[in-house]
Amino acid sequence: MSYRPTLTRTWWLKNNAFKAYMLRELTALPLLFFLLCLAIGLYSLGQGEQQWQHWQTVMQNPLVLLINAVAFAASLFHAWTFFQLFPRVMPIRLGGTTVPAAALVAGQWAGVVSVFALVAWLFWG
Amino acid sequence: MKLDITIQRYLPEQAAEPFAQTYSVPYDASTSVLDALTYIKEELDPTLSYRWSCRMAICGSCGMMINGKPILGCNVFLRDYAKTGMLIEPLAHFPVERDLIIDMESFLTHLEAVKPYLINKKAQGVQTFEPHVQTPQQLDKYQQFSNCINCGLCYSACPQFGLNPEFIGPAALTLAHRYNLDSRDQGQAERMPMINSEEGAWSCTFVGYCSEVCPKQVDPAAAVNQSKVTSATDLLLSLLGGRS
Amino acid sequence: MQQEKKFKRSDEPIWWGLFSGGGVCFAVFLPSVILFYGLLLPLGVVTLEYQQASAWFFSFWGLVFVGAVIALPAFHSLHRIRHALYDLKFQQKALIKWLTMGFAALLSAACMLIWLVGLL
Repeated sequence: MSYRPTLTRTWWLKNNAFKAYMLRELTALPLLFFLLCLAIGLYSLGQGEQQWQHWQTVMQNPLVLLINAVAFAASLFHAWTFFQLFPRVMPIRLGGTTVPAAALVAGQWAGVVSVFALVAWLFWG
Repeated sequence: MKLDITIQRYLPEQAAEPFAQTYSVPYDASTSVLDALTYIKEELDPTLSYRWSCRMAICGSCGMMINGKPILGCNVFLRDYAKTGMLIEPLAHFPVERDLIIDMESFLTHLEAVKPYLINKKAQGVQTFEPHVQTPQQLDKYQQFSNCINCGLCYSACPQFGLNPEFIGPAALTLAHRYNLDSRDQGQAERMPMINSEEGAWSCTFVGYCSEVCPKQVDPAAAVNQSKVTSATDLLLSLLGGRS
Repeated sequence: MQQEKKFKRSDEPIWWGLFSGGGVCFAVFLPSVILFYGLLLPLGVVTLEYQQASAWFFSFWGLVFVGAVIALPAFHSLHRIRHALYDLKFQQKALIKWLTMGFAALLSAACMLIWLVGLL
């Protein structure tokens, strides 16, 4: 005599928290696209100079550029959400108290900036 | 001032299907949703059923969906819904027995399954009566997770529980983690099989909405995901140690 | 008192571990890699000649690149896709697990093979 409604496939449209969650999960798709681009790039590199140049031409295709631009934004959105989750999954305790989450978030972003500096130095240094 | 409140009714002895009913409720700055329900029952419609007790957000009885969000009825005020209007539905993801009254049996079963009590290894079954000693630092490790009032809002918030009621759920896993972190407890090994299972910590995908709706800021999402680390460590140790 | 329910240990920690490692790499390494290789290089803001790319990749660092920039993020991505499909009520759990984790493994193995062949 009791009823229990089942969730529909679009349950995540019901509120902003769920939509944000799905958007976060969706970052997996442009990431996968870029990883496939990279994999093809590595294959081309292994095949020789001509293939390497050809790969770079393919990467200039407007649609490819668009999706990779989305992938770049997605990687930053992912980083933003991921860095906030990390202190909650692995709270760090030093000397009896918990390290403030803000410090852990800042530390992780420092990592991102360091990597950017390293790659920039590789290409421009 | 009056607010039109629409309530999802369900009277199984009268009709097989739930139906909506709207009531016009007078309010002032201090009228809570629970006050509104009391007004409806006393002045307009005595057939309305709902749970309540403390009216101060500590007993956990009056959980309901208000405009699609799991909330304690005593914890919100009509004055904040003047612009949006108000729809009250029973707490999501649980079977509905009547009006706003849900069947919480699965919730209680999941709580029991985590052995939510201090477990101490007794010497040959003889219980000693020495006091447990705990420092403030030891207390700090688990105290936040002990603030749960068992209201069930996190289960209504959790889409994984909504998709699969076999999932042990946020409150139960938080309670398990609370005891695992308690320096007075020696029972982690007894709780791990449940945490390690598909229906344990591993059904969680860190949607995190449970922590958003928790009226006591317990942060169940943190507890569940911390117990994923515990579970992964447990698997690693068992592979290295040769146990199952 | 209820009976002791028999719980079966899940192997999910393995995939979650790869997902987490990949999540760190996706967050820390991929923004720079996507920016440089996906945008700046094709747009000609930076250049990378074949000789330089080969020297960089067919070295020890190339293996690190495959691991940190491709393999772990691949497991991260496919793990998310796997669970998102379940969230969208696709119930074929075992099939989806094999397809997604299998694809991540294949992609990782392929890139490692490319590195190995190029090294020799």
